[in-house]
Amino acid sequence: MTQGIARRFQISTLAAHLVLIGFTLLALAPTLLVIMNSFKPRKEIFGAPLALPSFETITLIGYDTVLKRGDILHYFQNSLIVTVCALFFIILFGAMAAFALSEYRFPGNRLIGLFLVMGIMVPIRLGTVGILKLMVSLGLANTLFALILVYTAQGLPMAVFVMSEFMRQVSDDLKNAARVDGLSEYTILFRLVLPVVRPAIATIAVFTMVPIWNDLWFPLVLAPGESTRTMTLGAQSFIGQFITDWNAVLAALTLAIVPMLILYLMFSRQLIRGITAGAVK
Amino acid sequence: MGKLVLEGISKRFGAVEVLKTVDLDVADGEFIVIVGPSGCGKSTLLRIIAGLSDQSTGKVLIGGRDVSSQPPSKRGIAMVFQSYALYPHLTVEGNLTLGLKQARTAASLIAERVAEAVRILALEPFLKRRPGELSGGQRQRVAIGRAIVRHPEVFLFDEPLSNLDAALRNQVRAEIADLHRRLGATMVYVTHDQVEAMTLADRIIVMNGGIVQQIGTPSELYRRPANAFVATFIGSPGMNMVPGTAGGGVLTLAGSGRLPCSAAANGAVTAGIRPNGFEVLPGGNDGLAGTVIASEYLGAESFLRVRLADGTVVTVHEHPDHGWLIDQPVTLRLRPGNLHLFDAESGLRIAEGPDAAAQPAAARVA
Amino acid sequence: MATSAQRKPIRWHIGVLLAPAILIYTVIMLLPVFDSLRMSLYGKGPDGAPMFVGLANYTTLLTDSYWQGPFWNALWNNVVFFIIHMLVQNPIGILLAALLSLGKLPGREFYRTALFLPTMLSFVIVGFVWKLILSPAWGVSKTLLGSVGLGSWFAPWLGQPDTALITLALISVWQFIGLPMMLIYAAMIAIPDELMEAASCDGVTGINQFFKIKLPLIWPSIGVVSILTFVGNFNAFDLIYVSQGALAGPNFSTDILGTLLYRTFFGNQLQSGDPFMGATIAGAMFLIILCGVCVYLYGVQRRLAYYQM
Repeated sequence: MTQGIARRFQISTLAAHLVLIGFTLLALAPTLLVIMNSFKPRKEIFGAPLALPSFETITLIGYDTVLKRGDILHYFQNSLIVTVCALFFIILFGAMAAFALSEYRFPGNRLIGLFLVMGIMVPIRLGTVGILKLMVSLGLANTLFALILVYTAQGLPMAVFVMSEFMRQVSDDLKNAARVDGLSEYTILFRLVLPVVRPAIATIAVFTMVPIWNDLWFPLVLAPGESTRTMTLGAQSFIGQFITDWNAVLAALTLAIVPMLILYLMFSRQLIRGITAGAVK
Repeated sequence: MGKLVLEGISKRFGAVEVLKTVDLDVADGEFIVIVGPSGCGKSTLLRIIAGLSDQSTGKVLIGGRDVSSQPPSKRGIAMVFQSYALYPHLTVEGNLTLGLKQARTAASLIAERVAEAVRILALEPFLKRRPGELSGGQRQRVAIGRAIVRHPEVFLFDEPLSNLDAALRNQVRAEIADLHRRLGATMVYVTHDQVEAMTLADRIIVMNGGIVQQIGTPSELYRRPANAFVATFIGSPGMNMVPGTAGGGVLTLAGSGRLPCSAAANGAVTAGIRPNGFEVLPGGNDGLAGTVIASEYLGAESFLRVRLADGTVVTVHEHPDHGWLIDQPVTLRLRPGNLHLFDAESGLRIAEGPDAAAQPAAARVA
Repeated sequence: MATSAQRKPIRWHIGVLLAPAILIYTVIMLLPVFDSLRMSLYGKGPDGAPMFVGLANYTTLLTDSYWQGPFWNALWNNVVFFIIHMLVQNPIGILLAALLSLGKLPGREFYRTALFLPTMLSFVIVGFVWKLILSPAWGVSKTLLGSVGLGSWFAPWLGQPDTALITLALISVWQFIGLPMMLIYAAMIAIPDELMEAASCDGVTGINQFFKIKLPLIWPSIGVVSILTFVGNFNAFDLIYVSQGALAGPNFSTDILGTLLYRTFFGNQLQSGDPFMGATIAGAMFLIILCGVCVYLYGVQRRLAYYQM
């Protein structure tokens, strides 16, 4: 009796699944293809690129070459230091500024807010020439600290914007109750307001972390030296060297993909929630 | 024309039965209110009538036509939603006309219908505005207007007043009653507020736990509640429920006194007495002994809170200037014909006697 | 929100809270950007020291036979790059978002996670992965196309001047499709269910429901996605640098403003670095992005109504 509705519903659902499966395959296949072939001997990479690696012929020869020649672990460590430190400063300084702008009325409040938020639309890359000059004169060229500073500056406008929007919604009663209890403004920010705006922090972490980790431009310009090389730059220059050794290139790519893949699968739920929550705002 | 019939409607989600078999006959032009606490299945029932949810079993007939497998727009219904659900990107006029345009109604007819709705609801000043620029009460009127222009056989209302503040709620409630009188259309109205139910309905359906407790006119529900749930749900302040034992035409209320009652009652019962079913006399008289513990003065009337000997607290209606003092011992005497008896276990009403049995059985208890 | 502290002396904590952000933002980001813009007004003097030349560098960029060609080429390529994003990325993003928000589609979490995955990968990985896959030497694309009977379609797309740019733009779309999808998906699930139910009572269902109700309500999100895409595209560099090198081959057919800036500033096999012309190109990019943002803020965003739902 309600079959008419039900059947129509099922057909449209089926069509939706087909389209989504198609795009999902398109999204996953290239990455899977590279990972799969990195375990195959050269002959099979070319002879049967679409086949799964078989037990008889599985080989780690590419990984052998890569691990002997490059210091992947060190690059990884550099990237981690830069990303985590920049993220920390962005959230700390961003929260402080956002709290000042959203909580107090003082002359110039709106102006300072606009001044900071303007940075969302100004790409920092256009200041590369000036930044390089500045870092050289500060003696910070070829240091991880230079990268941390640049990424912090780059991430602050967005962080201030998102967090002040969220902080405006924190109940005044909560803050005033704390003031009556004698808490300092700093304690109110760090003990009361920050925990309440945790969703905003998640959103900011997502929006700033990925571009920092993946950036090639500033590592290339500010810190190209071997000791400060980030994962992204390391992989780029490394693959460039081995471009004819297919085993090594596929292995190097796999090594660059896998950490990101693991991190993503671990945090994808929070990440996607962060994006959607941030967008609903 | 606007007759609505539900035949054996039920709904289950997996193993959970959220709606147990509902049968209903709504006459053309009747105003039916479905009332019950939240989660009782009343909104599910309304959504099944609208075609927004599928029933698990049963049929929906509107105007004599089986519409069970029709989409909502083909059922001859119009619905007013709790959140109004106005299209935020369209003007009031756009909101009123979208459905008709979708059905490729002739422009002249659309203009005529809109003019009619505008006249009935006084929407003229808002036609070019968007919902975001309207107040809650105005949005509510637009939502009703969107229903009117469809000329539906049945109007469905899903808690339409619950987003309005108290003062506005009374006003819009009166407007809806007036609208029903003027249009003479069949209306099904869902609410959790028994005052809305009592004031608007021709007949009320009381639901609880997915089960229809009783169907009847407001006065039937008030005078002869089919069970303890209906008794406490309808009427404000609620009916006092006092445990007791009946036997041989005598009701013994726990520790408080003895009253004459119907001979049909036997064993453990719950006695239900409305606040205005008592007469308050000084302590020591014949009746239920108790102590005044609070008095609520409402201007035109007062309510006394009286603790009986066994600790049960009952609410009693009194004159505003009654003169009773807190802690004063009083005796409550039952006014004749004000005792409702319910089986202590099943909660079902115990018939009072032959004259009661002669009344039409409005109750349909599952 | 205002503490009625007007009478109190100076509220030092406001300064303390604002100082670090303003300091880092100004010193590391704003001043260098302005310094770069200022530098575009200078040139190398006869004694080798910088000399103020006014807008001469911009004139050179637009009219000098040596600079004019590469600049217009890069600008045009950038425009093509952006148009392809708008035409492919947004419609597909909207389609995927609409499909994901269909009722309670089973498996939608899996689809979301999978479709967003490429966005998490770095340009380096994406560039190389696609370079390998499209490489005629490996031939995996030819095999794949062959399996659906289109083997003859295959060409070394990244190596041919007339297809390389489009191919790169599509690779970039492949990588970033997750962002418009998620942003629009978020806007769609924010539309209340009752509104859709009201629409179906009004007989507005299926495709009609999408175009008449949902689409008007997600225009603001599409606007945001578009301006983000614009700024991102006119800043792009990494993908092209990684897959085609700083020379943006073949024969500069994939050269965009980002790669031109890099080559000009740092020099390459063909020329030595010129910081003044580099700054000039950065200045031109700044103006283009500024124009885009202004068009969005004053032309587009104001007309988009943000509806209260």
